[in-house]
Amino acid sequence: MSSDSAQSGDSARTDAHGRPGGDTEAETMVRVDGLKKYFRSSSGLFEGLSFDPSTFPPIHVDREPVKAVDDVSFDIRDGETLGLVGESGCGKSTLGRTILRLLTPTEGNIYYKGSDLAELSGSDLREMRSDIQMIFQDPQSSLDPRMRVGDIIEEPMWAHGMLDAEGREARAKMLLEKVGLDPHHYNRFPHAFSGGQRQRINLARALSVDPDFIVCDEPVSALDVSIQAQVLNTMEELQEEFGLTYLFIAHDLSVIRYISDRVAVMYLGNIVELATKEELFENPSHPYTRALLDSIPVPDPRDSDARGVLEGEVPSPTNPPSGCRFRTRCPKLIAPEAYDLTDREWTDVRAFMRAVDRRTIDAAPAAELREAFFEQGVPGGDAGAIVEEAIELVATDDSAASQRSASARAKWDEAASLLVGSFADQSICARERPAYEVEPEFGDGRHFSACHLHR
Amino acid sequence: MRDKPLLRVENLKTQFVTENGTVRAVDGISFEVYEGEIVGIVGESGAGKSVASMSLLRLVDNPGEIVAGEITYKGRTIFAAEETEDGDRRLQDGVLSAETVRQEIRGNEIAVIFQDPMESLNPVFTIGGQLREFIELNRDLTGDEARKEAIDMLREVGIPDAEARYDEYPHQFSGGMRQRVLIAMALACQPSLIIADEPTTALDVTVEGQILDLVDELQRKYGTSFIWVTHDMGVVAEICDRVNVMYLGEIVEQAPVDELFYETGHPYTKALLDSMPRPDRTVTDLDPIRGVMPEAIDPPPGCRFHPRCPDAREVCRQVHPEPAEIDRVDGFSHRSACFKRDVFDVGYDESPPLDNLARGESERGQEASEVASGGGASE
Repeated sequence: MSSDSAQSGDSARTDAHGRPGGDTEAETMVRVDGLKKYFRSSSGLFEGLSFDPSTFPPIHVDREPVKAVDDVSFDIRDGETLGLVGESGCGKSTLGRTILRLLTPTEGNIYYKGSDLAELSGSDLREMRSDIQMIFQDPQSSLDPRMRVGDIIEEPMWAHGMLDAEGREARAKMLLEKVGLDPHHYNRFPHAFSGGQRQRINLARALSVDPDFIVCDEPVSALDVSIQAQVLNTMEELQEEFGLTYLFIAHDLSVIRYISDRVAVMYLGNIVELATKEELFENPSHPYTRALLDSIPVPDPRDSDARGVLEGEVPSPTNPPSGCRFRTRCPKLIAPEAYDLTDREWTDVRAFMRAVDRRTIDAAPAAELREAFFEQGVPGGDAGAIVEEAIELVATDDSAASQRSASARAKWDEAASLLVGSFADQSICARERPAYEVEPEFGDGRHFSACHLHR
Repeated sequence: MRDKPLLRVENLKTQFVTENGTVRAVDGISFEVYEGEIVGIVGESGAGKSVASMSLLRLVDNPGEIVAGEITYKGRTIFAAEETEDGDRRLQDGVLSAETVRQEIRGNEIAVIFQDPMESLNPVFTIGGQLREFIELNRDLTGDEARKEAIDMLREVGIPDAEARYDEYPHQFSGGMRQRVLIAMALACQPSLIIADEPTTALDVTVEGQILDLVDELQRKYGTSFIWVTHDMGVVAEICDRVNVMYLGEIVEQAPVDELFYETGHPYTKALLDSMPRPDRTVTDLDPIRGVMPEAIDPPPGCRFHPRCPDAREVCRQVHPEPAEIDRVDGFSHRSACFKRDVFDVGYDESPPLDNLARGESERGQEASEVASGGGASE
């Protein structure tokens, strides 16, 4: 996966056939290689300016981009549905739009049937657009309320110069029928339709130019469950009939499990795991995937599995963590090799470090802190010395009254940066970006996992 | 048997008068909430679950009106009215005044958590300020005491560094953190009942997990009862003790949660469960409910689900089923409003099956008529 570096369009195609362990039956339709999409915040005159009187000159221009999609590589095979799942803000929609070239990629290549979409522009790109289509989340706002359904469906054909007026109308009516609507609705306006029906109109419009590849961005998340099932079933039937390839973006893991052939999990601009559906859901190998799967409420009251709740919040995409992006919240963060810690000691140290860093605890006397975090005693050696120093900094033994003061705050910060600097930043998770192949337990597809536990 | 319920709702009806006619959003629902339990109200959009929960606090605005029913809370009557013969409503004696409901019930006794935390918080005041004001208004605490209590509540709902974040504004909080603030606000006045209207729907699944755990923990600690309004059967299975399933303004099934999933009584509940993709196993074929929920302005006669029901018979079109007890588990009844069950003696077995959507009648024909009559939009 990420080991495949930049290649020309043609070799990418042949390579997809000859790769060891790869699925050789299906041809690669889309290949995304090292794709990056950064957004610069240029929304105001003084945007990015910061003032710091302690330096000279005291004003900085600081334009860190938002790294929405950061170095993502994967293939989409002919005729498959690739599910792309992640939480809000992880970059999944940006990725979908960049693949369609609705957004210009910052770096990287997107090969569609061998030609590089990232290089295309103008009329070439426009021509390509009849092959690739998109369906949006909100069935209300993606249809022009002042256009008739027939015109909505015919517009893409008209834009691409397909057929004559009569042919277009015939095709639009045929498509209405295919997506499960009445061809007699040809002259109605979108407001006369329910949410599920509007999404069907969207489907018909996307199909009008006879595309091979459709990016579906949360197509059913605005719909009620019973309607959702109807639309999902229609999408599957259409895929069969028209030989479509879907990139199906969603945050709902149940929907992803139903519709996908393979699933990619995204976190903070990176793909952290990619495997066939059965493998990913039954043998998740990345701690983030596991956390996601654990936190879905299962519609079964007898399912008593404890929820593995994820601590903390997603970091800012302007300044993502080094190495593995999930490491700041990962329950499996690997102990730095520099210290000789047992698993149990490392668990204690990690919990203490995160509590101080996130300030989820209140200042307390040193003895109380030791008891709360280090039931088995503070570890010895260098690690223990660092922990003791941090406890010293945050403990309230000598200055119980001054906890609100600025100096207490500064000390707390110092303790946090000491702990994070000595432990979290030394871990392999912080130093190297992970990318591993895991032996699949279900099926024989490839299983990619970006976690150092599999090194 | 259990003690007296904390909240009892009987035959509640809420209607909206519109240009096109009267929308019977809630049409005669009855349920109870006992102390320390989480009661779910589940249904699709348009089923009337939000209107039902807002009616409990008389928070229904023009053109909506609670037209009939009785709501009693801890022996006090929040609302009681009867429909008179000429279609008007008559309030019964002993009903609390609007003023009293506002001052003594809302917030103090029954608190509400809404779906969208950004809309419920005022963007121009600090989080702490809003929380403190709320505490000062509802409890006998002032100034520093209220501030201290507010910070304690923030800490209680798991907001890190509560003291510093007290002075921050809502936009500086993430969605999950804002929802925690609302929970803190609801809990701050130590109410006996909290109505939560889709509180986790706008949140990501990992954040939703955190909030559900928090509610679980706080509920155990304070013994607060909850009415949990949701469309997500997963959330229902996860936290509810008992569930009411709503369809088109009515409660069609009422059961303890395990019963609902394993001894499902009503075809709608079953259809709802069958149409869900599952996160815990691979489903190869989804069985969707055919058609869409009709408008509450002109509900179908008889059983309201009969046009979409796979088990519908002629009698379902003619007679309206009221929920009846079909089983009793741990002192709670399992009610279902479907003639399939023996408790109803209306001749279901002899009645001929209906040709409807679920039996392959053309969906298009029906939709065409819907569109023609100006309906069809169920959003």
